Amino acid sequence: MASDSSPINNGPSSPDDSPSSPIGNTFSSPGDAARRNRRRGRSSTPSAFDTPPVHRSRFAAAADATPTPSRSRQRSGGAGRPPVTPTSTDDIPASSEGGDGFDMDDARPTFVWGTNISVEDVNDAIQRFLRDFREASSSQNDDDMLQHLHTEGKYEKLIKQVIEVEGDSLDVDAHDVFEHDPDLYTKMVRYPLEVLAIFDLVLMNMVSRIKPMFEKHIQTRIFNLKSSTTMRNLNPTDIERMVSIKGMIIRCSSIIPEIREAIFRCLVCGNCTDPVAVERGRITEPTICLREECQSRNSMTLLHNRCRFTDKQIVRLQETPDEIPEGGTPHTVSLLMHDKLVDAGKPGDRVEVTGIYRAMSVRIGATQRTVKSLFKTYIDCLHIKKTDKSRMLVDDAMDIDNSEGRNPEEVHFDEERVGQLKELSKQPDIYERLTKSLAPNIWELDDVKKGLLCQLFGGNALKLASGASFRGDINILLVGDPGTSKSQLLQYIHKLSPRGIYTSGRGSSAVGLTAYVTKDPETGETVLESGALVLSDRGICCIDEFDKMSDNARSMLHEVMEQQTVSIAKAGIIASLNARTSVLACANPSGSRYNPRLSVIDNIHLPPTLLSRFDLIYLILDKADEQTDRRLAKHIVSLHFENPESMEQDVMDISTLTDYVSYARKHIHPQLSDEVAEELTRGYVDIRRRGNFPGSSKKVITATPRQLESLIRLSEALARIRFAEWVERRDVMEAFRLLEVAMQQSATDHATGTIDMDLITTGVSASERMRREAMVQATRNIIMEKIQIGGPSMRLLELLEELKQSTGSEVQLTDLKNAVATLASEGFVTMHGESVKRS
Amino acid sequence: MGGPQYDFLSNPLGAVRSTFEKAMASVSDPSSFNSGDWGAMDLFTNFLFDQSHHFQVPVLTPASMRWIKPNTLVRFRGMIQDMLGNEFYVGAYKDGAVWRTNKFMDVSQFPIGPSADTRIWERRLLYCVPVPGLNSWAQISSEAVTDQCMGWTSEQREKRPRAEAECSDMTVSSEEDQGSPSTKKMREGEQPSLASQSRESEIASSSFSLAPVPEGNSLHCLVKVYDSPESELKLNEIFEFVGILASDPEIQEDNVDNDLSNEFCEDPLRHFPPNKVVPRFHCFVHRKLAAQDFLQNNPIIEPKLDMVKGIREALLRHLTAVLGNDDVAAHFMLLHLLSKVHSRVDSLAVGKLSLNLTCFSKEIVSIFGNQLNVVVKNLMPFTHCIPLTVEYLNTASLAPKKNYDINRLETGALQLAEGSHLIVDETKLEAGTLNSLGVENARLLNNLVEWQKVEYDFKYYKMDMTTDVQLLVLSEGKSNILPADVIVPFRPSAANCSEAVTAEALEAWRWYLATVRQLPHSIESEMQQVVENDLVAARQADRSLNAQDLSRWLTMSRLMSLSFGETSLSLEHWQMVKELDRLRKERLK
Repeated sequence: MASDSSPINNGPSSPDDSPSSPIGNTFSSPGDAARRNRRRGRSSTPSAFDTPPVHRSRFAAAADATPTPSRSRQRSGGAGRPPVTPTSTDDIPASSEGGDGFDMDDARPTFVWGTNISVEDVNDAIQRFLRDFREASSSQNDDDMLQHLHTEGKYEKLIKQVIEVEGDSLDVDAHDVFEHDPDLYTKMVRYPLEVLAIFDLVLMNMVSRIKPMFEKHIQTRIFNLKSSTTMRNLNPTDIERMVSIKGMIIRCSSIIPEIREAIFRCLVCGNCTDPVAVERGRITEPTICLREECQSRNSMTLLHNRCRFTDKQIVRLQETPDEIPEGGTPHTVSLLMHDKLVDAGKPGDRVEVTGIYRAMSVRIGATQRTVKSLFKTYIDCLHIKKTDKSRMLVDDAMDIDNSEGRNPEEVHFDEERVGQLKELSKQPDIYERLTKSLAPNIWELDDVKKGLLCQLFGGNALKLASGASFRGDINILLVGDPGTSKSQLLQYIHKLSPRGIYTSGRGSSAVGLTAYVTKDPETGETVLESGALVLSDRGICCIDEFDKMSDNARSMLHEVMEQQTVSIAKAGIIASLNARTSVLACANPSGSRYNPRLSVIDNIHLPPTLLSRFDLIYLILDKADEQTDRRLAKHIVSLHFENPESMEQDVMDISTLTDYVSYARKHIHPQLSDEVAEELTRGYVDIRRRGNFPGSSKKVITATPRQLESLIRLSEALARIRFAEWVERRDVMEAFRLLEVAMQQSATDHATGTIDMDLITTGVSASERMRREAMVQATRNIIMEKIQIGGPSMRLLELLEELKQSTGSEVQLTDLKNAVATLASEGFVTMHGESVKRS
Repeated sequence: MGGPQYDFLSNPLGAVRSTFEKAMASVSDPSSFNSGDWGAMDLFTNFLFDQSHHFQVPVLTPASMRWIKPNTLVRFRGMIQDMLGNEFYVGAYKDGAVWRTNKFMDVSQFPIGPSADTRIWERRLLYCVPVPGLNSWAQISSEAVTDQCMGWTSEQREKRPRAEAECSDMTVSSEEDQGSPSTKKMREGEQPSLASQSRESEIASSSFSLAPVPEGNSLHCLVKVYDSPESELKLNEIFEFVGILASDPEIQEDNVDNDLSNEFCEDPLRHFPPNKVVPRFHCFVHRKLAAQDFLQNNPIIEPKLDMVKGIREALLRHLTAVLGNDDVAAHFMLLHLLSKVHSRVDSLAVGKLSLNLTCFSKEIVSIFGNQLNVVVKNLMPFTHCIPLTVEYLNTASLAPKKNYDINRLETGALQLAEGSHLIVDETKLEAGTLNSLGVENARLLNNLVEWQKVEYDFKYYKMDMTTDVQLLVLSEGKSNILPADVIVPFRPSAANCSEAVTAEALEAWRWYLATVRQLPHSIESEMQQVVENDLVAARQADRSLNAQDLSRWLTMSRLMSLSFGETSLSLEHWQMVKELDRLRKERLK
């Protein structure tokens, strides 16, 4: 050791060894840190401040890897003795200077080299922490302690548990440490090697006090650091510090048995040696038999079955996609796992790892004449937390996190985020803002977006004790002219929901959507393969070109959309699989463009059984509206010529949106009040009556109990958007409005079932409405005059002539028809083809 | 500091060292340098660009690899194909009482004592390959620089006549062993130990698939970049690096003695071809290259309007002739060649104009197909051609894929540099069944056309990488796999009047395409009003027009005015675009 020649004490006495800035000083090189280790080790050795021998397994391998001798090895000199007060007088001046805000009970502390961390102080701090920390009471002074004596500290309890189950590690929440003693936390993060060693030591002391005979060594595992870095931001200053990173395991090495202690036997006399410990990553074979009688040379052989080994594993961790900046490739980092951590994760797991970032120089063979100046870095793993989503969310019926590629633990938002989201939800225009933020580059279609928003939020699923269940998922069908960006909407929603599957109706078969049975090529067994709907369980299944789908495939959807299961009975497999998915489908009208002369039903051309399973059916018609066109034109021009950043200011970014949706889905479960239930019933009866209009039942989509359920779901979703626990009247009104708007019902002629295109395309201006009213009035008058109740009918053309005479102006047949239709809807007349009859 | 006292070209490390020493004289601790830079980089930037010694720096090519001395200044042009993460190295260390630096070096000049005071710095590793599809005319001619190094390279120069550099297939056998880890090397048995030899052979077989274009003459390079922000260097961007070729090609870390590092499969270089095949390169200065930088004699001319117009006419004439007097197709071709993605709004790529020439029957392909390919090759710096067949779709690996066994990103045919031109020849596509890979590939192509994105496969997840590729699709009917922005039925009227093109004309055209493309573009508010009115009127007249159609018009109008060298849209050009699209629509009927 070259540095042996340097002055033993370290402390402030030698100026260039002791940085003037106390803890704030950062050590950026492992060389430095290694030196620190060594010195620190030395400075503590004379003070007989030692670690129990078991302890040394901890960082030994890692420390061996660094070119410097391991600290733990040096420390293992006087085994098992409790720490005694140091006697080194050199330290006295240090104590006076090193008072960095923490009390010095002891006048002669030992210092961690190069810092003013006093070993004793840290020791005391840890002891206080382990003994006194209680949850929900952050500051504890001595008075409190007296009162709290009867309640056990959190960690005392945990330690007892560990002892009971004979565990070998104690998980310590770093947040607790911080709460109890921020100073200790800072030291722990900055000098983890030193502090953790003391931690282990204190822990073992406590353990032996509780149960003196306890043999096993218990390690402290720190987790949940206050701040976690990204892999990308790890840099040389992080070396030898405690870091916490998230990532995905991509490779695990096989388990490496690492020798810790070896026992040799003499081949000549059969004498066994004492255990030989690993030293600098090596075990030296004794060259000579120690038995005095024997003393034969080079006769020792390793006794494999009496050596002590520990497990070791090297794991590669890779960045998750959300951390990778544009134009970059994922970074990776190696993890070194020991003992119990081995096989804690398998490739594909998303994990959060707490550990010590370390660097080791690339070893060069002795034959090499040049020295490679590279360092390899790895993380000496202390704690690993799986953030696997499937396990955590399994039981919650409406639980989808809508964020793509996010870790589920991000669904457990931190308080700050929750506060933000709640703040957002309180805004009066939150519904509009969310609408605007949904697919902002798709123009117009606000009502469609509102419907989709409801689908994202979803209603409450209900499972009655009787076993009947009601789905909470909202199914939406978009029917519309080509080029109304239906597909883009679908793509967008697909991107938003993680479990979403996007399929095209033309390319999907029934089995591809549900499930199919295949023979495993290797074993010959029949296996069930899930189709798109099953795969999008708890997600949204987007089906494009729904109309192009074969009838057979479509009929498979019946079960899925109402019962939310897929039943299979083939090849000896009878099963029912969950498919709790919302369906978002889009289709072109039957004649590929909407034909205004046909009724809505004829245009959509889907079996009513299927239609009734959609909560919302949107007719997206391409309106020849100059206003819309102009807006579109402006939008496109600005897309090409302006700075796109400056365009949409008021929209939420996609991550906020997804967080908002996820949070709402997870935490908000609105309920219906009696008043609201009343409102729903009344509204439903209204729709029902409208649908039952005589002679029209085949032409419009009639209301069924399903629609009532849809309304409930929609109202719930709308309440959820506001983070409200109760559904309010306005939600119900909006739900009704959505339902109507979707079908363009305001413009639908209930008698013929056709949509009055004029009505949609131009809207009805005030003057037009007046003219129409006048027309209706005139027609009514004539009919009153000419037709008796129950009398003979009158042809429309005759009526037209009459009208022309009476008003003295030109009257269009279509206008008359409209007027008559209005009268018919009032129940004033009935129409049979071309003839009008007073009813 | 700076000045002629350093011999930058032949002894850059000397300059590095002396500036370091000079800088160290003023400070006591190297960690006071801002992230380890003491001004050496600025010095080199100054030397190269301000004093314009840039073109004197020899270019690293498979040919020049043999005579370039290690530890001299060289240039390397390439695309970042993969990023191998960061590397920690001993940046500065104390040799006795003196601070030394290791920056820009792989091995330290003086032994680092085990106890020496060290500072650890960081550098980035980038795996660079020659730009995929780089055409021969755009390859840098190293004649200019070789002249300086004449003294000891004359004999090589004789072997490598000028014509050869121009010739597109540079498969000179003597160069092969430089560029590719050929099997020959293994047979030679010149490796010191058996272990490393077998490892090399394993690498040799694996690294074949890594090369985007597995040609004999491509030189891959591992570039080590210092102190540059991460956002500056992105995947698939083309850069010119100026730096030092690593000095000791023999150094291979020898894993005999290390217990731990052996098990750490983390080393990005572990599965790496040896230094001789993939040279290590320490970069002082890097700069991003655009198409302009690939012009042979890069004249920095302000694009004057009449000159641009003249060139445009000539180029259009040429394109018309090549396309059998099909004027409309030629116009679209010109616009297509000028297109680039100029902004992205959400997932929308604005500015792309992919072209689908339909009506390419068997006969027409035989006449025009190849010719078109040649023309594009002559005009654009990086071009590719994919003959689409069912078999190709079923077997080709289009998307780059991460191979965790060797910890490298295996390139795919769609890992292309920004501004590449891609011809997809669909005429040979026949009916057949696509397997799962085929479906995946078809989807990738579709995404590329529609969103200008390629999905990279990182096994555990996929990542969309944005690209900017001009796509030209040749097909008999409208292509369904590749829904291009513009579909133009091809109507040649004359067979083929191949006119001879002078080299000057070609150069002018290349300059034109590269320069005009980069011009900024804006719209006056009056013109914007006109355009908006026109769009509204058009939509009122024809309901089948959708947002994509309107968007396409605007893209075309932008390109049209750019093609005249103008930076703002004029009514004349707007009307030209509308007329052009009308003609096209007539053909579609």
